[in-house]
Parts: sequence; C-alpha cells; structure tokens
Amino acid sequence: MKKKVLATLLATAMVAGCLAGCGNSNDGAASTPATEDAAPAEDAAPAEDAAPAEDAAPAEDTSSAADASGSPIDTLIANTTGTVTMTVWASEEDQDLTSKMLDDFKAAYPDITFDITLGAESESTAKDTILTDVEAAADVFAFADDQINELVQAGALQEVAAHYTYDVAAENASGAVEAATVDGKLYAYPMTADNGYFMFYDSSVFTEDDVKSLEKMVEVADAAGKKIAMDISNGWYIYSFFQGAGLELTLNDDGMTNTCAWNAAGGTDVAQAIIDLTASNVLVDMGDEDMATQIAEGNVVACVNGTWRAETAQEAWGDNYAACKLPTFNAGGKDYQMSSYSGYKLVGVNPHSANLGWAMLLAEFLTNEDSQTARFEARGLGPANNAAASSDAVQSNPAIAALAAQAAYATPQRVGGNFWSPAETLGQILASGNPDGTDLQTLLDTTVEGITAPVE
Amino acid sequence: MKKALNAIGNYFKNFGIAFVKGDIWVKLSAVLMGAGYFARKQVINGIIMCLVEVLFAVLCVGYAAPNLAKFGTLGTVQFEQVFDPLTMTSTVNDYDNSFLILLNSIISLFIIFVFIVFYISNMKAVYRLQQQKENGEHINNFREDMRTMFNEKFHITLLTLPAIGIIIMNILPILVLIAVAFTNYDQQHMPPNALFTWVGWSNFKSLFTSSVTVTFGYSFRKVLIWTLEWAVLATFTTYIGGILMAKFINDKKTKLPKLWRTLFIIAIAVPQFVTLLLVRNFFADSGIVNTFCNSIGLTDFLKNVGLVPSNLSYIPFLTNPGWAKVMIIIINIWIGIPYQMLVATGVLMNIPEDQIESARIDGANPLQIFVKITMPYVLFVTGPSLITDFVKNINNFNVIYLLTQDVFVTSDQLLANSNAKEVDLLVTWLFRLTNEYYNYKMASVIGIIVFIICAAFTLVTFTRTIKGDKEEEFQ
Amino acid sequence: MKKTIKSIIRHLVLLFLSVIWLIPILWLFVTSFSGYKGINTSHFFPETWTLDNYAQLFLRSDSIVQYNRWFLNTLVIAIFSCLISTILVLMVSYTMSKLRFAGRKGLMSFGIILNMFPGVLSMIAIYFILKTLGLTNSHVGMIIVYSAGAGLGYLICKGFMDTISVSLSEAARLEGASEAKIFWSVIIPLSKPIIVYTVINAFLAPWGDFVFAKLMLNSGVATDWTVAIGLFNMLGKSMINKYFSVFCAGGVIIAIPISILFVIMQKCYVEGITGGSVKG
Repeated sequence: MKKKVLATLLATAMVAGCLAGCGNSNDGAASTPATEDAAPAEDAAPAEDAAPAEDAAPAEDTSSAADASGSPIDTLIANTTGTVTMTVWASEEDQDLTSKMLDDFKAAYPDITFDITLGAESESTAKDTILTDVEAAADVFAFADDQINELVQAGALQEVAAHYTYDVAAENASGAVEAATVDGKLYAYPMTADNGYFMFYDSSVFTEDDVKSLEKMVEVADAAGKKIAMDISNGWYIYSFFQGAGLELTLNDDGMTNTCAWNAAGGTDVAQAIIDLTASNVLVDMGDEDMATQIAEGNVVACVNGTWRAETAQEAWGDNYAACKLPTFNAGGKDYQMSSYSGYKLVGVNPHSANLGWAMLLAEFLTNEDSQTARFEARGLGPANNAAASSDAVQSNPAIAALAAQAAYATPQRVGGNFWSPAETLGQILASGNPDGTDLQTLLDTTVEGITAPVE
Repeated sequence: MKKALNAIGNYFKNFGIAFVKGDIWVKLSAVLMGAGYFARKQVINGIIMCLVEVLFAVLCVGYAAPNLAKFGTLGTVQFEQVFDPLTMTSTVNDYDNSFLILLNSIISLFIIFVFIVFYISNMKAVYRLQQQKENGEHINNFREDMRTMFNEKFHITLLTLPAIGIIIMNILPILVLIAVAFTNYDQQHMPPNALFTWVGWSNFKSLFTSSVTVTFGYSFRKVLIWTLEWAVLATFTTYIGGILMAKFINDKKTKLPKLWRTLFIIAIAVPQFVTLLLVRNFFADSGIVNTFCNSIGLTDFLKNVGLVPSNLSYIPFLTNPGWAKVMIIIINIWIGIPYQMLVATGVLMNIPEDQIESARIDGANPLQIFVKITMPYVLFVTGPSLITDFVKNINNFNVIYLLTQDVFVTSDQLLANSNAKEVDLLVTWLFRLTNEYYNYKMASVIGIIVFIICAAFTLVTFTRTIKGDKEEEFQ
Repeated sequence: MKKTIKSIIRHLVLLFLSVIWLIPILWLFVTSFSGYKGINTSHFFPETWTLDNYAQLFLRSDSIVQYNRWFLNTLVIAIFSCLISTILVLMVSYTMSKLRFAGRKGLMSFGIILNMFPGVLSMIAIYFILKTLGLTNSHVGMIIVYSAGAGLGYLICKGFMDTISVSLSEAARLEGASEAKIFWSVIIPLSKPIIVYTVINAFLAPWGDFVFAKLMLNSGVATDWTVAIGLFNMLGKSMINKYFSVFCAGGVIIAIPISILFVIMQKCYVEGITGGSVKG
C-alpha cells in the first residue's frame, strides 16, 4: 500500500517535472552548461533509497529532459509565482551579518519577491526549539553539528541531495562535510569550522613550553596564584581526557546507542588523573559564562574553550593573548595528548518548508565562500570553506591556528543522547574530588552503563 | 459513592421511561431530535435541536470518523518525502501524524460523549413536554424559555463560557496526556517523522522498576521524597514567617507599619523570574556573595568546619546538593514571606480583640497570648489555604527551575541515568523530560502521579469545607 | 527608658529584615546603571555608572532587544487576559456561591481537582490544540492561554462572595429582580476587593510567565515576544555576558508599574485575599 502511494506520487512528480521543464525550454530560457548542473542530480536520483528500482528508472528520463531545457534554478524561477515567504534562524550574534546576507540574496534574484523573516535562535539550542514542533521551525536555520543526529532522526533536515550554486561537498573541509553527513548522506551546509575547543592562555604567565603539559601549567598557575578553567562537569569537555588516553566512545550503527570503553583498563588512571589535577584547586571546573567573567576579572589565566571566547580573552590579556592545542596530561605514569571534539556550525533546511527550492538556494548562499569569508572578517569565525580558510588573514588568527593544531587529535562528534547526563555527572564527581569515596572502577562502570543504556 | 451510582442508574432509567412511555412524537425525537418540539408548537426549539443533530452528523462523518478509524493503531503510514532535484520541489505522501490522530480522536470522543448526554436530556425534555401538555400545564414559548436562562437556569448561562475555556485549556489536554502515558511517544517516536503507538501499562511498570540502566524507579522515589519534604518545609516556613512578620509589623508599638509593609511588598512586585535569575547569579560559584564570603574569611571557616568540601575555593550555594536544598528553601522564604504577610495581616485585623484583652487582664504574657489565642485562631481561619499552598508548592516550578537550571549538576549517577537531579521536584523533572529529552511518555506517567497525589490532598480538605454547612455560616 | 530601648531594638530588627529583603532588589537597581555589561562579581556597586542600558532598551531596538514592542505586547496581552479572566472567575464564583442547583458540589470538587494538574505537562497538548486553531505565534493565542482556564481559580473569590449576606439578594429578588440583575447590580458592587485581587493577579501573570510564552511564540522573531521571554533570553549562555545589566534595567522597568499598582491597591488586595481565604 505504502509503496503504491509512493510510486504514484513519484510518477506525478516526474510528470510535473517534465511539463515544467518543457514549458521552460519553450520560453527559450538561456541554457547554462547543463551538464555541470545536472550532474549532481543524476547522482542523486538513483540514490533515493526510498524509491524502489523500477520507480527510479523513469527518473533518468527526466534528468535528460532537464539537460535539454535548462538549469533547475531557471525552472524554479519560472515556476515561482507570488511572494516567497521564508523564515531564517541565526544566532543572536549573527543577526546583523545575516540580515545583510539576506539583502544580497534578494538582490541576486531580482525577479522574485521575497518576504524573509530573520529570527534569533542560538545555534547551540536550535534543536530544542525545532524538535518541539518541526513544522513550525524556520525554513533555514543554523545549528551546531552535535545536534545533527537528533535533527535527522526527527526529520528536521532536508537531505542535500543536489547542489546548485557551488559544490557543497567539494568546496568545504572534509571534516566539516563528514560532520554534516549521517549514514552517508549529506544533510547540511557547513558554515564554520571553529566549534571545537582548545587552550587559551595568557603568555605573560605561561611560556610556550609550559603549555605543552597540563601538569606543568597547573604548577605555573599555582605559583602565580591564578586559575586554569575547564568545564569538566560537561560531557563535551571531559571526553578529551578519556579519548586522549585511547578509551573510545562511539555511536552504534542504530544511530541512538553508544559503545563506551571508559571503564576499560586504564580508565581508573584517567579518573584519578582528573581528581589529582583538580585537587589543588588550580585547575577548576567552571561553566562557560563564569569563565568569561573570571577571565575579565583576571583570576583565570588559561582556559579550555572555543573561538566564541576569543574576544573576551583578547580583551582581558591584550598582547599576551595566545592560544594553542590542548596540552598533554599524565595518567598512570604515562603522558597522553588530550583529544577533543571537532565542532562545526551548519546550516540546515527544513523539509517541511513551503519553498524548499528557495530555502536550499538560500542555505547555499549563506554558506558559500563569500559568506564564510564575510563571517570571518566580521566575527573571526573560522571558515569551513577551503578557499576561504586558506586566506592569510584566517591562517594567522591565533585561535584558528590553535584549532588547526588540535585538529590532528580531534574527532567529529558522533554520540547518542544517553551520553550527556552520565558523563556530566562523572565530571562533577571527579572535579569535586570523588567526595563519597566510591571505588573508581565502580564509578566508571556505572557511568558506562548509563552511557550505553539501550534506547527503547 | 452509592449515591453517585444510584444517580447514574436513575439517569438512564428515566431515559428508558421517556422512550417507552412517550407518544409517537417523543419516539420520533429519538431519530429527529426536534420532532417533540414541533408537536408542542415550539418551532424554534425544534429547529435548533435539528440543527444540532445535523451539525453533529457532519462532524461525525467529516472529522470524528476518519480520526477514530486510526485511533486503534494511531496511524500506520510513515512520513515519506521524495525530493526532485530538477524542479527543487518535494512530494510528501499522505502520512499519519500519531499525535494529531490522538488529539483529534480524543476531541471526537469528547464531542460524542457530550452529544449523547445532550441526546438523553433531549429525550427527557421532550417527554416532559408531553406530560405537561397532557396535564394541561402551560408550555413555555421560546421567549419564555430564554427568560429562564436568566432566572432558574442562570447557572447554565453563567457557566457555559467558563466551561468552554476549561474544556479547551484543561480537560482536553489532560485527557490527551493521560492517553500519552499508555503510548511510546518519545524522542524515537516523534511525529511527524515517526509514528507512535499504544504500549499498555509498560511505562507505569518502568516507573516502578529499577535496574542500573532504567533508573526511573530509583529516581522517582528520590524525587518524590524531596518533593514532599520541600512542600512541607516551604509551606510551613513561609506560613509561620508570614504570620510572625505580620504580627511584628502590625504591633501597636511599631511605628509606620505601612512603610515597612511597603518595603517588603516591593520585593514581590518584581516578577519572580527576574528576582530568581538575579539571585541565582548573586549566589553563583564565582558570584558576588562568594567574593564577599571569601574576603571576610567565611569560606575558609566553613571549609575548616567541614561544611564546604576542601577542594573548593567557593561556597557551592547552588551547586552542591545539600547546600542547594537549603538555599532553595531560604530563597523561597525570601520570596514567600511578604505574600503570606499580606494574607496574615488581613486575618490578624479580624482577630477578636476582646479575647486578647481578657487574657492580658488574666496576666498572660505576649508569648502565651500568641500561642494560646492568636495562633489557634489564625490556624482555624487559614487552615484550608494552608493545604492549597502545600499543593501549590508541590507544583512550584519557578523557584526550583530558575534557581538550578543550567547551574546544578547532579553527582548521583543513578539519578543522572534518568535525567533527574537531587533538587528536582516532580514537575521540574517532567518538564526537563519533555523539554530536553522529549520523553513524553514518562513525563505523562509522572504527571498523572503528581495529579493523583495533589488530588488526594485536596479532596481530603475540600470535601469537608464543601460538604459541611460552613458555607452558609456567614450568609 | 526600657520602653524606648525595646522600641529601638524592634525597629532595628525591622530595618535589618528589610535590608535583607531589599538587597537583591537594590543590586538589581544599581546593576541596571552599570557601565559593565556582564555580571559584576567583585563589587556590589558598579564601577562606572551609565544610563546606557536604558537607552539600549528604549532607543536602540535591534533584532534581539525590542523592549518597546515587548512592553506593548505584554501590556495588550495582560489587559485582555485580565479582563477575560476576571469575568470568567466572577461568573463561576457567583454561580458556585449564590446559586443552588443539582450537581453544584460535584462540579466544585471536580474544578478544584482539575486545577491540580501540573500546567507544564498539559502545555504541549495545548500548543497543538492552539496550532490546529492557527493561534500559535499570535497574541490572541497567548490571551487564550492565560485566560481561558481562569474559571478554575474561583475558590478565593467564591469564599469572598460567601461572606456577602444573602439578605441583600433576597430583598432584590422580592422586588422582582432577575438573577442576572442581582448578579450585576447587587453582588458585583459589593465584591470590589476581590475583583481588585483577581484583576491584579490576572494582570501580573503574562509579565512573569516565560514557559508558556516561549513555547507559543516560537517564531524566533523578537518583535513577537513578551517582556518575560525577551528578558529570559538575555540570560542565555551566549548572551549573559553582554546583556546582564540590560536585563537588570528591563527588570527595573517592569517592577516600577507593578510596585505602584501593589502599593495603591494594597488595602483592597489584603481585604480580597483574606475575605476569600478565610473561607478557603
């Protein structure tokens, strides 16, 4: 039954596509070099996994019809009647920049009347608003890559099955593309490549040698009577210790549950190392907002954080502002390089959008090379676009350089929802020195059981 | 209980009598609802009844039937979308949205239920008309009928509008959520992309079982205990504090009582979410109170006493379970006392002066007067509202949520595995389950339990006030 | 002499208590004039004083701060929802207090129990009901959210009406007044304190609610928001360090009218609440 409906729908869509295509060619629309534009479409058509083989066959006919008629954009323009109404969500800090980009986008398609509303929704919490009611969410929205699994699962992301103005997969850094891919399908447009974390420090306190090891840093900061801050009671950051020691955390194939080796041999050494490091109260467990205040107050002279804190650190430390990859830490007598999550900000298109085509074009526009460069110039955000990232200005930015140095030890964030609460609590217990004196192995076993708990 | 059953029994019996003993017109009314009225020349009533019937039929066919047909499965057709890269458009199949099916089915069932009640009363009304006619009594015309709506039936006129509001805002949502407790509606089964379906009692089972991975049972017990502790403490501290404060300010020896009262009222005039978020930052780990305590050496003192863990350089006001619980109650006192003071002020003004006077002549000291006369009076008068406050505190979302959200991290691993925290009340826990983890099924189960607890407390107190004749006392 | 000392101590205690109660409010007030936008953690009083936070609220509207709009939105929502809820509450309480009909006590218990259901849970269902009616992201929807269920909160008002003597309505009835007329011209004028109480409470709800408002007004467009969502948003992770003192300024601005309302209406408020809660 289901298949039948689908097949009928597909057939209708194809016929409609044909008619539209023909109509366009009759109008004599300028045919751009069709091969280039149609190529991704051809790739995409057989890839439709939902469509049974016999349904896919006529699709090829259509793409050849398009070869003759003109680019999909022209078709879209020709098929668009009336005002195109869309909503875009960008983070609070990105409002001015995005509204300028929206004007440019409108200017790029002068024949179309747009009514685009810009809303404020921070990238880190976009998921919370979107998942409550996917249909009411914006047509185009920015989000952090850690939310991609849940968004895809909830059907809140339109697959990037084809591209029209630039090659999304080829022009962006491979890590960013990987972060935007779920089950081999690209679901979002990379916007920045700087959402990971690394070490900020005040170079008047630490030398370049000091920042190579966390133990040395603690020693130096202690001597200076200052603090090093890290949000240890947060799964995202505490991951760096365990992953660094080679204890892996991976997402299972079902896309929901995790496999976690934190309680394997050596796990207790890592846990003990965190307890020891925080015991002297020099390395302190501190949330992001507090860190900003404490850096400004001059109490914190080094912190593990991301580019969004670069401005605060730069203001507080002036010329002494420096950034580097994460240091090593010592667990069980061995030095390990701290790992990290590489983070990206992505732009997604809502499949429930009434103007899907325009939403996709807009998403491409917001993430193309020019926009990424503009974003770097205005706000210092590291571009994911290869060309934009290779500019001298980007290369010489200390925070982005530090991220690049950390990249070798960073892994993309692929983790199921059950990870966060148990990991956060583990961090809280370790950072407060394991006050109940629970056996570390038991502690880790319980954490791992929570992290790997089945999802019904 | 027996009375209620009897009432229901009579209700249907009367319907049966009406149908059996009614004449042809009454019987015809069972099919065409207006028939009985036409026969007694109540044309407008007849037309209205027929219209209601037609409207109901239309609703049944157009709205209720298609939804109720899927009610058993909550939908079978999964959302599927096909994107055509050439036209840049997509086609979506005619998918089922389980939540909307559930919602619409419940609304449909509700409408059907209301109609049946309406239908039965209509039969009785028509039969009564027949009897009136047979007995030669006066039969109201339409205008007279309307006039009764402002006299004998004035309660119906007054209650209609509030009832509609309550049905939309309270009854239907509650019915929907009770239904959700028996489904598997969670993040893995979220419409529109996925379907959810009925799972029977299994959510209730998982609330009362505990294993290492499914810790809802453990968390539920812990959260419930703290919820009750909190409700008792929060209610009594603010209640007693409010009375003492009112007593203190209203004492004849206090100069300018109005000024003092106003000062305290200012503290509640600022919206709660502003003051609470402010206070949260006030007591933050690196907040201003900590800076102050540090500089006067209080932090070190508490460390030496052992009240603050030795590896901290601050007092964990809102981040350590023990400290946080105490702070939450203290902050709640701060918020609650001015309000209770206002209530108590009014009550104290009405206190019988002569009793106090005679006690004073007998040589009782102020404390004795307070304990023996003032308190019993106040308790007697405000007793019921104490229970209301208690129930309100069980559901006191604002204080706990605003003070601990994003700040407090649990250090109990079993709680963490079911997304609960030591400081959570049942309501904040269920809010987080829905808002951050989309675990609607468990949240509904918890909601039902909260509901039962609160309802039990309320019923015990209010059946006494309502059933007793106290109501007429003052009239 | 002993009396004077006692009196001084009494007033010192009061002074001490009011200082405790007012410190956070004072902090709110002084921080709203702070030149530093983030949270000041080392000084109670700001280091630099400025009116800029207020200027930002009122004069420099952008896509994040739209205070004028928020204030207007909330005011409109508050006025309408307080009108509607007051009317609904009066209707229900009068019926329950003064009219006698079959099933009255059952309805009363039912209403009280219904009111116990945690609102945060039914929120999601209400959202979808209003969405079906096309009322999400609209102020009409918000007014419905705040006022439609108001009838359930009849208890205190009914308690107050119970204290109004029956003889008055009996007299009117003897003169041939209809029930509707008695309600309108006998009971309502005598219920002034409880009406004030109901009006104030209903008026305040939209100013303090961020949970429902955030769910219903989910377009992300700042001009749609109420004051509560706007201010709550300012304390988000990425915002707090740039907006804390602006948040304080916003808090002060809503506190001023509400304080004045409270101080003026204090007497009525107290009478209303005690008249009602005496009976429960």
